[in-house]
Amino acid sequence: MAGFALKRPAHKRSLISVVSMIDVMMILLFFFMVTSTYLNLDMVPALQKADDGPATATTPGTTLMIRIAADGTAMVGGQSLGPEALTTLLQARLQTDPLTPIVLFPSGAAHLQDLIRTMDVVTRSGAVRVKVIRIEAAK
Amino acid sequence: MKLRRPARPAERETVVALIDVTFFLLIFFMLVGRLDATAPFMVKPPLGTTGKDLPAGGITLSVSPTGALALDGTDIGHDALARLLTARLAKNPATLIRINADQATELRLILSLITEFEDLGAKDVALIVTPDALR
Repeated sequence: MAGFALKRPAHKRSLISVVSMIDVMMILLFFFMVTSTYLNLDMVPALQKADDGPATATTPGTTLMIRIAADGTAMVGGQSLGPEALTTLLQARLQTDPLTPIVLFPSGAAHLQDLIRTMDVVTRSGAVRVKVIRIEAAK
Repeated sequence: MKLRRPARPAERETVVALIDVTFFLLIFFMLVGRLDATAPFMVKPPLGTTGKDLPAGGITLSVSPTGALALDGTDIGHDALARLLTARLAKNPATLIRINADQATELRLILSLITEFEDLGAKDVALIVTPDALR
């Protein structure tokens, strides 16, 4: 007896499998998640020289020198000043002359944090001409 | 006679959403991350409130509280550092030198380094600080 032979159409497979792509992506994702460390950092310029910038002349009489003692205390004229007192003094001087040069003279034994803290106070007071000096041993 | 509709087979979960999310996360981490060499010793930068954004590029010199040096994540001696910087600055005097010093490092170590870099011809030196969000 003749009969029909019904054939089920072959299941079409996708041309490219995405499984390997998912594997690679997951590996990359884990790599970046595990190796990344979030660091939020800023910078304070310590030395900036222009190629042909004019040298800024300082007037000795108007310069305000701030000594940073070994314990981190800011001193002006031999007197210890807290951050508030220093801000008041700086603002008074800068009101008279906004371009008053400020010279920071830190002790070698003071810590970097002490310098940055004093520089923050000076910058927040509105000073624009700030220098850090140190005593160099004679060669 | 009560006819029962055959239960519909549950659809297979699609992986398209997973791929999308994974891809977004991957691109996020690739974009926000910046590969940077870390110091071989612990460095805790000082807190600062008036710092500027740290530009990319340049070289990073890490300084430990005891004065140990590391250039771009590798331990280096003082003399080797001077030689290497001389060569780098001869090629490009505008190379930014980033000093990543610990907040407890004594200033005699930091200031002498900055003076030395200036003598070598450096034009751009910056101290790395951590933004102090509490102030």
